[in-house]
Amino acid sequence: MREDKTLAQALESRGVSRRAFLKYASYVATLMALPPSASRVIAEELAKARRQSVIWLSFQECTGCTESITRSMSPTLEDLIFDFISLDYHHTLQAVSGAAAEHARTEAMKANKGKYIVVVDGSVPLKDGGVYSTIAGITNLDMLKETAKDAFAVVSVGTCAAFGGIPHANPNPTGAVAISEIITDKPVVNIPGCPPIPEAMTGTLAYLLSFGKLPELDAKGRPLAFFGETIHDRCYRRPFYERGMFANSFDDEGARKGWCLYKVGCKGPIAYNACATLKWNGGASFPIQSGHGCLGCSEPGFWDKGGFYEPLAAATAKLDIGVGAAAVAGVAAGAAAAELMRRKKSAAVDAANSKKKDG
Amino acid sequence: MRSHDAADCCADAVTGLAEAVLSEIADLLDQFAASGAQSSIDLSGLPMTDADREKLAQRLGRGEVQATLDVAGQTDVWETQYAGVWWVRHFGGNGQVISEEIAITHVPAILLTHREDARAAAERLRKACEVLEATTAADQSSAERDSIHA
Ligand code: SF4
Repeated sequence: MREDKTLAQALESRGVSRRAFLKYASYVATLMALPPSASRVIAEELAKARRQSVIWLSFQECTGCTESITRSMSPTLEDLIFDFISLDYHHTLQAVSGAAAEHARTEAMKANKGKYIVVVDGSVPLKDGGVYSTIAGITNLDMLKETAKDAFAVVSVGTCAAFGGIPHANPNPTGAVAISEIITDKPVVNIPGCPPIPEAMTGTLAYLLSFGKLPELDAKGRPLAFFGETIHDRCYRRPFYERGMFANSFDDEGARKGWCLYKVGCKGPIAYNACATLKWNGGASFPIQSGHGCLGCSEPGFWDKGGFYEPLAAATAKLDIGVGAAAVAGVAAGAAAAELMRRKKSAAVDAANSKKKDG
Repeated sequence: MRSHDAADCCADAVTGLAEAVLSEIADLLDQFAASGAQSSIDLSGLPMTDADREKLAQRLGRGEVQATLDVAGQTDVWETQYAGVWWVRHFGGNGQVISEEIAITHVPAILLTHREDARAAAERLRKACEVLEATTAADQSSAERDSIHA
C-alpha cells in the first residue's frame, strides 16, 4: 500500500541515514549512466517519495525473472529497492492465496489509482479466448487489462513479457503475445533478458521512483542505459574477433585460449544488453566469460534465430529462407508485412476478448 | 562497476585514459579554485582498465584526509595530494565496487551530516536523556528505600 510516511521517515527508525540514500543514488546514477551531479537530486527525491505500490503479474513464464530480482542481490545497498517499493501483489511471493490475494490486488489498485506500477513477467496467450493461462479463473488478458487500466506505467520484465519470448516461439501454440501489443494506451518499458539483469530491473524502478518518469528508451522500449550497446561492443574477447582469432569448436585450442566465440554461435553482435559490463551473480561472470556464446536472449525472437551453435551469418541466412521473398523485397514490403502483423495481432486481441464475453 | 569489469583480458593494458582524466581534473580544479564551482567525474562510467585506474590513483596520490564509512556496505573516501580533489569509492553488499567518482569540492557530500539525520539524532538523544533521568531517579528512590529498611 502507498504510505503516508516518506521513505526517509519510514527508514529512519531502522537506522537508514541520508548518507545511505546518497550512496544508493550514486549507485543508480552509475547504473543509469547519469552525471554524478544527478546523485543529489535522486537522493533528495527518493527521501521525499512515498513507498511505490507495485503490482506484479506473472503470466506465461518460468519464474526465472522473479528469481533473478530476488536472489542475486546481497543484503545491504543493492536491495534497498525492496524498502522503496511496496510489493502489494505477487502471487509467487505473497503469503496469502485465493480470494485474499486477489483482494490485495484490487485494494492496491483502488488506494493508488493512477500511481501504481504494474510489473509483468510472462507473455499473454490470446488463442481460444486466452484459456491457456488463467489465475483465479481470470484469463491473463483480462487481468492485465483490468490491472493496467489505472496504472501509472507498465514494466515488462523478461523477454516473454517484452517480446513474447519462449511461449511465442514457433509454433506458438497458445497465440502468446508481448504486453506492449495489448497495452497501447500507456507507457510500457521493456526489460528483456532470459532472465533480465537484476540491476536493469531495480535501476529502472529506482529511476521511475526518483524522477516520476520513464528513463530514455530505445526503439524497442528498452532503457538505453542498459540496452544501448551490444554485448559485442563491450565484450572482452573483442580483440580476438578483430584479429580473426576464433574458437572453431568448444574444445579446440581457440576455446581453451579464450578466443572469440563467433563461429560457435555467439549472438553478441546483435544482442543489446549489459551482461558484458554488469555481469551476473554479483559481477562473478557472464556466459561468454564462462566459455559459451551469447544466446541473444534480450532480442525479439531469440529462440527462432536458426540455432544457438550456428554462426550468426549462417543462422540469419536460414532465417531469411524461412521468411521467403518478403525478406528480399525491400523496406516497403517489410513495412507492409509489419502493418499486416499489427492488424492481425489486434484482431487476435479483439477475437480473444469477444470469445471471452461470448463464453 | 562497468569499468572494473570492462576488460578482464586486458586488465593490465594502459590505454591512456588515466592521463586524459587527469587533465580533465586539472581543468575542473582550476575552475573550483577560481570560482568555487564544484564538479565530479564518474569513473565507473569510463572504460578504464585496472591498470588505468591504478595509474590514475598513483598520479593523484593520497593527501591529508582519509575516511571509511559504514553505510549500507563500506565506502572509502580520501583527499588526494591535490587539495580539493577527492576520491570516493562505494562498495556494495558483497564487497564489489559499485560506483566510484572523483569529486572536486570542499568535502564530498557523503561525509556531511544531513540536517534531517541530525534532527532524528536529536530526538533519539533527547529520549536517551529522559531514560537516563528516569533510571537515575528510580535508582535513587530504591537506594533510599534500602537505607530506610536497613
Ligand atoms: S565472443 Fe561474441 S560478443 Fe565477444 S567478440 Fe566474439 S562475437 Fe563478439
